[in-house]
Amino acid sequence: MVNVFRKGLGVLSGSGSCSASGSAAKFSFLTAKNTTLALLCCAFSGGALAQDTFAAFERSMATFDPGGKYLTKPVERFVPGLSLNGTITHWSDYLVSGDDDIGFRERDFRGLQMQSVVEIAASYRFSPNLELTSINHFLYDALYDVSNADGLYADRVDESFRKYDSFDRIARELYVSYRTPKLDVVLGKQQIAWGKMDGQFIDAINSMDFRESVQLEAADYEMRRLPLWMANVTYYFDDVSLNVLWIPDFEANLNPGYGAPWSSPLLPPGDDTARNNQALLDERSNPAGDRVLQTERPDWTHLSDHQIAARLDFANGALTWGLVYFYAWERDATPFITGRFSDGDGDHLIITPSHERLHHFGATSDYAWVASGVPLIGTLPMVFRAEALYTKDAHFIDYKNRGAVRAGGSGDGVSEHDTLRAALAFEFAFPSKVTAIFQPSFYYTFDWREGLGVGFGGAIGDEWNFAPVLFVSRPVQSTRDRLLLSVTLTPYLSGSNKDYQGSKTRLVASYEISPFFNGSLIYTDYSGGDDDDLFGQYQKYDNIGIELQYEF
Amino acid sequence: MLRRFFPKMKARVGSCVLLALLVFSAQVISQQSAEGGDDSVRQTSASQTWRSVEQLTDWERQRVDLRTETPRNKDIPYLPAEPYPFTAPFTAEEMGYRTMDFTHTARWSHVMADAFGTITKAGYLSQGVTVGMIDQMLSPNAQSQIFKQPGEAYSRHMYYYTYPPKNDGVQEMWILRRSGLEAPAKLDYFAYTPSLRRVRRQPPPRRETSFPGVVQSFDDILGVESWEFDWRLLGADVLHETVRFPNNRPQITLSSANGKFYDVATDSIKLMKERYPFYREDGGVNCFVIESTPKREWLADYEVSKIIYWLDQYYFYPLRIERYDAEGKLKMVEVRIAEEENTALPNGQGFASSLVVYFDAQLDLISYSLHDAHLIRDWTEQDLAQFTPDFMRRRWLKYPQKSQSMVSVPEQFYLRPDLLEGRFPEQRPVSVSPAIAARIEAQNKTGHLVFDIDE
Repeated sequence: MVNVFRKGLGVLSGSGSCSASGSAAKFSFLTAKNTTLALLCCAFSGGALAQDTFAAFERSMATFDPGGKYLTKPVERFVPGLSLNGTITHWSDYLVSGDDDIGFRERDFRGLQMQSVVEIAASYRFSPNLELTSINHFLYDALYDVSNADGLYADRVDESFRKYDSFDRIARELYVSYRTPKLDVVLGKQQIAWGKMDGQFIDAINSMDFRESVQLEAADYEMRRLPLWMANVTYYFDDVSLNVLWIPDFEANLNPGYGAPWSSPLLPPGDDTARNNQALLDERSNPAGDRVLQTERPDWTHLSDHQIAARLDFANGALTWGLVYFYAWERDATPFITGRFSDGDGDHLIITPSHERLHHFGATSDYAWVASGVPLIGTLPMVFRAEALYTKDAHFIDYKNRGAVRAGGSGDGVSEHDTLRAALAFEFAFPSKVTAIFQPSFYYTFDWREGLGVGFGGAIGDEWNFAPVLFVSRPVQSTRDRLLLSVTLTPYLSGSNKDYQGSKTRLVASYEISPFFNGSLIYTDYSGGDDDDLFGQYQKYDNIGIELQYEF
Repeated sequence: MLRRFFPKMKARVGSCVLLALLVFSAQVISQQSAEGGDDSVRQTSASQTWRSVEQLTDWERQRVDLRTETPRNKDIPYLPAEPYPFTAPFTAEEMGYRTMDFTHTARWSHVMADAFGTITKAGYLSQGVTVGMIDQMLSPNAQSQIFKQPGEAYSRHMYYYTYPPKNDGVQEMWILRRSGLEAPAKLDYFAYTPSLRRVRRQPPPRRETSFPGVVQSFDDILGVESWEFDWRLLGADVLHETVRFPNNRPQITLSSANGKFYDVATDSIKLMKERYPFYREDGGVNCFVIESTPKREWLADYEVSKIIYWLDQYYFYPLRIERYDAEGKLKMVEVRIAEEENTALPNGQGFASSLVVYFDAQLDLISYSLHDAHLIRDWTEQDLAQFTPDFMRRRWLKYPQKSQSMVSVPEQFYLRPDLLEGRFPEQRPVSVSPAIAARIEAQNKTGHLVFDIDE
């Protein structure tokens, strides 16, 4: 009855009263009053109608799942034992701080990505203990086709920036798992995420696709890890588990090099030169005109080239902790100087990039407790996490030595240093569902000296880096917690050479459109620091992004 | 593990004898109750189902102990001296302890599919399914919780979410701990998120705060610990319905432990299903109504002023629970349909929540949780290796219990529970906003939820 009345009012105002408001010639106090009333009616009924329409739309959206209805559920019914899931995700990021050239970059573009990924995951259960899993990714970044920017040509260097078109990329994970309550054996291509922190500390097993550079977030790791073929065996004792990995496979990191939206402004030469230098793009040369030989990579046919890792975990009441060891390869090749030659341009070096062995030693721990009698808050549940990875003999480019060699001195232009990356995290559950995480992160290069480049696990551009990350999130109750707001502040402090390398601020509004659809609006700001600092170089890369996801 | 404490044969024989005695006595008592008893006929109107303490029947008076000060346990002064599970007559406090047998999740080791959902006043429906594996570490009742040392674990829960697709593979582990003044934490809480592929310890949820997007709080799920509250008897009442199905949902599909699905007519579902022997002739269940208020030395900042329970008078199964906020306003109504899932246990301890509906009377939010495909388990030593946080990294859904009990369309969602206005009016300020009252009126008139209500 109420509903009928409202619809009637809407029809009336739409057909008659609203048009009366346009009769200016007959304007009088009375008509003005009537018109005002009519407008109010229009506004009210229109608003109410809009509200009703939106509510009806929401109700229909809540059960709208065409992928599940027409694909996964029918297939699962037809093939008992098969489990099928799909995800379609789209990300678009756009610069808001102009399109001026910055450093060596010809930045004549606004878009940072227009990327869509379709994930199809299938697992078939042969028995309660035996299962085959296949996870496939189909990626396409329209940015390279839509934009005519001269600064975007990374797809010429590596087609995977634009789309996945090889078995290696599309078949992300493919493994057989055999499980008993105490034993877990997983054989095949897979990704492993060790650790408990936001950020990568002992999470070091897989190489990464770093195309998003400083904007790669913890939530993206799942998508950006490069899976490896391996044997993954875990044995569970009572409160202890031992995980052993044997990894014949190897993948190098994918870095945002020439022509990528996130290519560092500090990377010479300029784009106008780089994009026309095929030897440079093919990594047969470098900006100094040196000759770069083929990279020496681990060979899976040699047993001695395989990687091995082990992890031991303990659960003891409110405390859990673990130890890890990883006999690994460096993900980025180290450019050793192995000779020199002269040509018409002068003297040059011969560089042999090589992936080198590393020993990683790590520890992880967390502890929970509830504090009582906290002023203004009362009871405060919290968790403390700690994690560290010590790496032996990481390789750094030694630019001073390289300069000396170029001038006729001796050396290979590389220096070995131990590194430490570690973090503490304090997570609090405040009233009103406010979650706060304070995570001071620390990076240190032992025996650091001026002129060192970047090495695994070490500080960037300095002896130590310190990033006290603060994350706060809160759902909006009036949306029944469907709208989640969060902010992440990442100031990057440094010493003993630099003081401050800028900061990153990330604001996210994420909304559950339906149980199957999710949307996020993300604003990322880079500020502070100098042009040659970690975040400072990206000061004009503030961007706004949207993320849409459908899971079925 | 159950056998160690309750050898099956003995338990079955014992429970049969007990059941026979209870059935016999209950029939006599039910007849008395159904007829109202001398006192009730004299002091209440024909339509009034509730009675104050002064209006209790003779049998009820024999069943309850109205003392508020009783001897205390010499070792743990905040516990009653009489050992759990107590004998009649029962104080309100002892009834409160008995309610601890009937937490949302059954008190014995088992596996089940928990189908759950929430609907907003506008009809936005979200649902999910999680498969729970429960390890009750000692006895299959509240005893293991009561007599553990503060901080000691008494139960371990593993949950594997299978629906909706975005949650497929999300897992949680809860290690439940007995609380104490010096050990206020009730659980260790771990989560595994497929997108992070990490097992992370989480801060324990704030106990009285609802989980994101649903009505129920952590304490609604795990139950309160009786020593943290003061208890008093308000009187007696009769419940004829708890969970209300809409008239456009004539049947529901449920699953047995072996995964076989079967349909049930919704109008045939009784408050405590078929095995409850104490129904009144009119189908109702006689209840005691008790009130608990937080002890502020235990729960200084607890944003709840009181909780009111309707307990069946024989097993003290809570069929209806009302939670009032710090200002004394009605916040949440929980109504239950129970079923005797574990017939090996005595004294009705085998009853467990089958279907629970939660109603947030301030936000007008309705949630439900339906426990399906209930499979009692006796975990072997090897099985117990599953109950560790690291087990979740394996992403192994060992028991693929399924449920087809979810709601198809918003209009078929469960109705808001009856507010039982007028019952115990001095203790129960059950007013709701005019907008919510209009929606309740509309649902009662049509027999199903109505979303387009003029506010």
